[in-house]
Amino acid sequence: MSDIEDMLSVTEPKVDTERALARLRARVEGEHIAPVTRSGSAPRRIGVNIWLRGLAAAATVALVATLLTVSGLAETILTIFEPKLLVAVPITVTDLNGAASFGAYGTLTWTEQPKPYDVPDVRTAAHDSGMTVLVPGNLPAGVGAPHYGVMNKTTATYTFSADKTRQAAAALQRTPPPMPANIDGSKLFITGGPAVVAYYSDSTNTTGATGATGASPFAGMPTLIVAQGRPPVVQSDGVTVEQLQSYLLAQPGISPQLAAQIRAIKDPSSTLPVPIPVDMATSKKVTVQGVEGIFVGDSTGLGSAVIWQKDGIVYGVAGTLTEQQVLAVANSLH
Amino acid sequence: MEVADRLRLTASPGPGIPPAFEALFRREYARVVAIAHRVVADADEAEDVAQDVFVSFYRKHPADAHYAAPWLYAAAAHSALNVLRSRERRGTRDAVEAIRRDAQTPDPAQAAETAETRSEVRAALARLPDRSAALLALRYSGLSYEEIAAALGLRQSSIGTLLRRAEDAFRREVTT
Repeated sequence: MSDIEDMLSVTEPKVDTERALARLRARVEGEHIAPVTRSGSAPRRIGVNIWLRGLAAAATVALVATLLTVSGLAETILTIFEPKLLVAVPITVTDLNGAASFGAYGTLTWTEQPKPYDVPDVRTAAHDSGMTVLVPGNLPAGVGAPHYGVMNKTTATYTFSADKTRQAAAALQRTPPPMPANIDGSKLFITGGPAVVAYYSDSTNTTGATGATGASPFAGMPTLIVAQGRPPVVQSDGVTVEQLQSYLLAQPGISPQLAAQIRAIKDPSSTLPVPIPVDMATSKKVTVQGVEGIFVGDSTGLGSAVIWQKDGIVYGVAGTLTEQQVLAVANSLH
Repeated sequence: MEVADRLRLTASPGPGIPPAFEALFRREYARVVAIAHRVVADADEAEDVAQDVFVSFYRKHPADAHYAAPWLYAAAAHSALNVLRSRERRGTRDAVEAIRRDAQTPDPAQAAETAETRSEVRAALARLPDRSAALLALRYSGLSYEEIAAALGLRQSSIGTLLRRAEDAFRREVTT
């Protein structure tokens, strides 16, 4: 027996499973607790992985903007492109709810699924991602030690389908414009990542960061996230970004304001729109690491993020910090 | 897929626990209790934790979910650690008293000594970072590296390194 096994030894409990099941049954019936019989989508991985929460938060600063707009709008518009510029695009809840999902226009097939995983240290993160991982030289008081996670390079193929579009629209009782023949059946080849996320928790918080049964939805949310990754690149087997843009912006549910903003992007093939939910956040241009970046602050003033692209890598720093603190961390990355 | 579709969980309107959930409960209950017990060192509290964990799963996840077992193991470890920390915050006497109930020995002096030792060890466990403490709880409850990786969302090849670090940190905490 090892010393730790010895220290943690306990008297094996006598368990009466049937009695415990009866107790649970009484509680479920007494409190009228309804079971879940199915979930609407593939379940989130275990839900207790603090790094995945970090990744989710990083996504909110649009490290991978194409995955951020859950309507799929950005994904569909930002097709054939290799982004070099970042542009803030204000979106509203109406925009998000009004646009049809990406799945309504065809089928996405992963050839390499995104599989985020934890790594023990920054050296492993750099090795696995193949990137030089920048670390902050300056951390605000109260920020603890980082946990690192890596997202592998992912690839997927998207195939447009006029039939599927019609069916999806019919289910929503909508009448979309017909899909042009050159789009029907055409394929997009999407590559994203790799990416590295460093998740810093509050060093003063000693309560369970990931309690699956914790009551607070904010339990375990990171104080600071530093993320970097290769931006998504999309290739097409024929259709152009202009053709797709024209078709998709004519769909029902896309507000004229949003369509105008997207059309105003001068070079859609090399511009990564960072969707800013106008009801929840504000944005402005800032200089970070000597290049232009986008600062995003939530409307409550409780959270800030900055995102920029340099030397082919998109970087994001976000946290429950002030604008000054976030920018100080971003500028201290080395 | 719309946001609402992504988030929507369809609840069954009828009463009664579905057979699939009962089967899951019968299959995993003892192990969930064992994990919680390894942390809190109190059988009654461990069973309370297990009940909460199963109710939480019942509310949010389908019983036949492929991730059910690792979810339950992780939730048991984290919930038990929360109980432990809460107990530690209430003070040493509470902690020793809870563990004394569990130290099954006829000799009161020996029981008190065992409880004292276990209490100190649990206080050290409570001071560890959450992931380190959960790693130790799961490993010393008999889970394999593969099961721990699935439960905590870690890469299996990292478990050995992370576990050694957690063990070192735990030893340091115990001796301070």
